[in-house]
Amino acid sequence: MIINREICVGCGRCHPYCPTRAIHFENLKSVVDQDACYECGCCLRVEVCPVDAIEEYPHIYEYPRALRKYFSDPNATHALTEIQGRGTEESKTNDATNRCGPDEVGIAIEVGRPTIGMDLENIQKITRARARAGINEIEPNNPICSMIRDQTTGDLKPELMGERVLSAIIEIQVKRDRLRHVLRTIKKVARKIDSVFCLDVITQLEPGLKVPQEVLDVIESEELSWRPNAKINMGLGRAWE
Amino acid sequence: MTHSLHREGTLDSLERDLCLFIYPARGFNYAGSSPKVRHLMELVYLAGPSNMIVSTLRRNLYSGVTPDEVLDSVRDGARVYCTFNSREKLKEALIRIKEADEGISVVVSGLIDQIREIANEIGLNPHTINLSLGIHGRTGRLPPPDIRQFITMCGHGMVSPDLVRDVIRKVKTGKLSCWEGSLTLAEPCTCGIYNPHRSAELLKELIPLYTVTRW
Repeated sequence: MIINREICVGCGRCHPYCPTRAIHFENLKSVVDQDACYECGCCLRVEVCPVDAIEEYPHIYEYPRALRKYFSDPNATHALTEIQGRGTEESKTNDATNRCGPDEVGIAIEVGRPTIGMDLENIQKITRARARAGINEIEPNNPICSMIRDQTTGDLKPELMGERVLSAIIEIQVKRDRLRHVLRTIKKVARKIDSVFCLDVITQLEPGLKVPQEVLDVIESEELSWRPNAKINMGLGRAWE
Repeated sequence: MTHSLHREGTLDSLERDLCLFIYPARGFNYAGSSPKVRHLMELVYLAGPSNMIVSTLRRNLYSGVTPDEVLDSVRDGARVYCTFNSREKLKEALIRIKEADEGISVVVSGLIDQIREIANEIGLNPHTINLSLGIHGRTGRLPPPDIRQFITMCGHGMVSPDLVRDVIRKVKTGKLSCWEGSLTLAEPCTCGIYNPHRSAELLKELIPLYTVTRW
């Protein structure tokens, strides 16, 4: 995003809306730090500027800058997945798609959220750790997959280094007996991440909203715990296409 | 992903904060989903959500948009995001959705035990769960937990910690009421699951604990 200096009246109303504190005063006018800006568009969307001085960055859709918008603006549809947001539909439509089967688990690692954001180099740290650990079951439709230059090393495309996004999700799907290995790998790399990340485990349920005990046992044995709130697919979807 | 499973707060507060999503699946039930999603949206409206957005319009319930404008914007593949501030309202919405049997995926986010109870009461058999194993990495960089209760209500991180602090200051100094402050906080959230009712309750609880240095 940019703020037109000719128009800006320096009221500062836009400042608190920026999730990354990229807007600051410079000579009594508001200015967006282009390196810090994620291109989430929040400052523009809330229409808080009294003189309409906030504009889109002119090269916002040019690669690799465009990745900032795709991964940070919830209203942007990712060019690859054609889905708004950073990930795929994971558990949300699993009753219709059966994408995550009864003997499988999905693991989602969302780096940068809540609120901190991150440099894409952090994603590379995880994709490299994943490659070293022989975890190759990365979700092919996730936008991260197209950013990996070499699947055997987990290296991202070099031009992406230095780009910042609000968050990005690495989605992995493995047989249940591989869950322990994946969680251990994530725990090891966690110390190297210069941001925060949310960790999710997705599994099909047993009747009566019972989480399979073998999944819970693995989570507990890796000294992790699950929160009392969760996202639950209510089993009302079906496929007809 | 709306991140709703990572909402933070006390159990007492989270009990009154339940999200509901309607998702057609690309390649499975996407084509021809528009009238079904529209019908489900009408049913959700009747149950009285605290907030709601359809992905084809992205304007929340408090933006001045009319229900007809929202419903008319629905296209094939439109997804609906909403939040309820009471278990009974959510249950009512689910009963109507179950009876309608449109075949579109419905996801509920909230306390697992509470959703289990509701599912048992109305005879639903949930299919898949997305468990949150919490936040890891450099958690010392996160804002404090009282601020996180607000910012994690927006699934995409669009409610900034500084905006929460700004609203607290304005409420504390009498420039905004708790409800007006909550609507200000709901504005940047384009996923429509920022719960202004819960937010107003939280502001009411927190305001006495804050001091303001600049009046």
